[in-house]
Amino acid sequence: MADEHALELIDLRREFAEKVAVDDMSLRVPYGSFYGVVGPNGAGKTTALSMAVGLLRPTSGRALVQGIDVWADPIGAKQRLGVLPDGLALPERLTGGELLTYWGRFRRLPKDVVAARTGELLRILELDEAETLGTLVGEYSTGMRKKIGLATALLHAPKVLVLDEPYEAVDPVSARVLTRILRRFTEGGGAVVISSHVMAMVEQLCDRVAIVARGQVVADGTLDEVRRGASLEDRFVELVGAPEVDEEELAWIGS
Amino acid sequence: MDRELISLKFTMLRNTTPGLRKVGWVFGGVAVLATWAVALLASGDQVRASALTLVFALWGLGAAIGPVLTSGAGVLRADYFALLPLPRAALGRGLLASVLVSIASGFVLLALLATVVHALSVAPETVVVVLVGAPLTWLLVVTLSRLVYGLLGAAMKTKLGVEIAGVQFGLMFAAWFAGWMVVQVAVESIPKLLQDGLPEGIITTVVDALPTSWTVLAVDAAAAGDWSRAGLLLLALAGVDAVLVLATIPLLVPRSAAVEKRRQGRRSRALVAGGGILPATQTGAVVMKELRQWRRDAWRALESSTAVWTGAAIGVFALLGGYTAPVASFAGLIVAFMLGLSGCNLYGQDGSAVWQNVVGEDESSVRSDVRGRQWAMLLVFVPRALVVSVAFLLLSQAWWAVPVLLASIPAVFGAAAGAAILVSALGVSPGVDPRRRLGPNDANGNIALHVWIVLLLVPVASIPTAGMIVWSQLTGSAALTVAAVVVGLLNGVAAAWALGRVAIEYLTTRMPDVFSRIRYGQVFREADDGLLSWVESTTLKGEQDLANQKQKQREARLARAAR
Repeated sequence: MADEHALELIDLRREFAEKVAVDDMSLRVPYGSFYGVVGPNGAGKTTALSMAVGLLRPTSGRALVQGIDVWADPIGAKQRLGVLPDGLALPERLTGGELLTYWGRFRRLPKDVVAARTGELLRILELDEAETLGTLVGEYSTGMRKKIGLATALLHAPKVLVLDEPYEAVDPVSARVLTRILRRFTEGGGAVVISSHVMAMVEQLCDRVAIVARGQVVADGTLDEVRRGASLEDRFVELVGAPEVDEEELAWIGS
Repeated sequence: MDRELISLKFTMLRNTTPGLRKVGWVFGGVAVLATWAVALLASGDQVRASALTLVFALWGLGAAIGPVLTSGAGVLRADYFALLPLPRAALGRGLLASVLVSIASGFVLLALLATVVHALSVAPETVVVVLVGAPLTWLLVVTLSRLVYGLLGAAMKTKLGVEIAGVQFGLMFAAWFAGWMVVQVAVESIPKLLQDGLPEGIITTVVDALPTSWTVLAVDAAAAGDWSRAGLLLLALAGVDAVLVLATIPLLVPRSAAVEKRRQGRRSRALVAGGGILPATQTGAVVMKELRQWRRDAWRALESSTAVWTGAAIGVFALLGGYTAPVASFAGLIVAFMLGLSGCNLYGQDGSAVWQNVVGEDESSVRSDVRGRQWAMLLVFVPRALVVSVAFLLLSQAWWAVPVLLASIPAVFGAAAGAAILVSALGVSPGVDPRRRLGPNDANGNIALHVWIVLLLVPVASIPTAGMIVWSQLTGSAALTVAAVVVGLLNGVAAAWALGRVAIEYLTTRMPDVFSRIRYGQVFREADDGLLSWVESTTLKGEQDLANQKQKQREARLARAAR
């Protein structure tokens, strides 16, 4: 192992014109950890993770995957990374099976390995029925898109998974399957980083958490270190702040 | 309700690019003047009647094609109102009314009123027929324009609709490239038309049958004292209007819930099981993906269908032009040339799906991607070009063109495949992201510069072949003709390889920037000198200028509102 961390962000910064979206953010994700990044909308989660996986050039700072700099040696780093971005297009006019076949061959896996893993992933993620009907990815529901996206992230057996909102719109049964897959991944020594808004889910899944607000990490560490005896949600609201709703305001709702 | 929609439409029109609108006004004004000129300059009553009916038929055609070519975000879309508790019919009626009240429709009405000249000339009391008939014809033309556009809006979902849009774009490109042939024929025939009217026969019968002609026919009937025939014609026109309006209203408000699920069975079973015809390499994977996108994606299919129809339309223009008929045999060459334009924004058309190229980067991924896309374009376009070539060779009987085509088609294909991939790498111009596309123009952003570069680059990259063809044709030597064919093939391979090579060099370090242009509309890297960077920054600036302009107009409007 080249480094003690599976993924490390060092003073990552991204400015969009006047606005600082990510403000010198640093994070360390140890091997075997299930790491949750939580924060309000616009906190800079997606921007930071985009820089960490090579999708967005940082203004300054570095991102290391198993000690390999994503921006200095992108090829080495990207071989070790599995990525699920949020809200981006895919080759929309392929079926799930065609997409995975394309993706596996594009990543230069042997064709029998691609075929075997494609079949297995479609079956386990319950996308095989859509495949039998010839449904195209562009016609998938949001939850199905998440699942096929996760399958593309897993296909080349990466060491580190970076998943942006992987559970969004995924039904409870599929979510259990997803959790089993991700747990198996961390038990094998891989590291998983997910971003999410849903505190209860992060609390249940993750062993380490970072709370992000205004482009900075305001708290990080093991779940218990961050929670300090309270619930993650209370701690989150305490750190990030929430507007108070007065008794007088919005009195017309439900009247 | 209708009034609110009309005012909303004007508000949105105020926010569209003013330059483009002015060009439209100029064209519209010229067309109105031309119509009046025809009415005033015709040599006699009969001639005027037949000339006007032809011109009005052209107005109908123009109105049917125009909105498809110019449609942009400025038009009200039914889904903006999806959440309002409005009945579909009321919303559709409002959307239709919002079209009637527009500058373009004003031009149509002005043009149609030229019939007044005819009425005054044949019998002044028939002006009353025009006052009823012109508005009815106006409603017909404008509704027809919406009907065609509505059919097409739904149409990007059907193969036939994509093909209709392809015909329209093909006609536009053909008019652009080879409009001189049409203008030539027109210049020769307009004085004749104004002097003698339409020649009696099938054309007059067809034109007279078109509802756009009925007002003129009604005027003639009334002038001849047959007022009941005039009344019947106007009544029939009103009937056609009613049918069109009733057909159009539901089309303008598509049912959003009725998304059909495909039930057509498993696709690509062999491929997914590890087989497939193409080699299971990285490049093979890209070719496979691209071929399926070209076939199944409506916007890609529109590009390839436009290429075919452009070639076919130019061929037909040439055949109609009389002495230009042998030029028709080059229709297939036009299809080869169109590959350059059809593929000049491949990465932009992919939209944010380009993230896969960034995340999946390895030592050979960029090379495989560029070469795979080139192969796929050729596999899609070459058979089409061959079919069009054979068809128009047979029609024009210009057999001397065969060796010229054998030399030029490979050269132009190679140059176009090279130019397309290079320009699409340098000038990524994202339109609407794939899943949100509706209209036929949604797949590209501002690709004006792309088109010009391709138009320039393809001929330049085919110079060796052009030289050999000229030489061989001048000398008439059989050996030189064979040499020209060989040079054409080598020229094509070399152009596709070399321009693709430049694209690969460029993309190797810049894939994340391509993604940035799509996702963030900017590049987060210091620009460097050189021609490639100039193209990159100029095309990017084109996109940003458009965005800034919209932003400024928004701010100006907010400032006005605050006052």
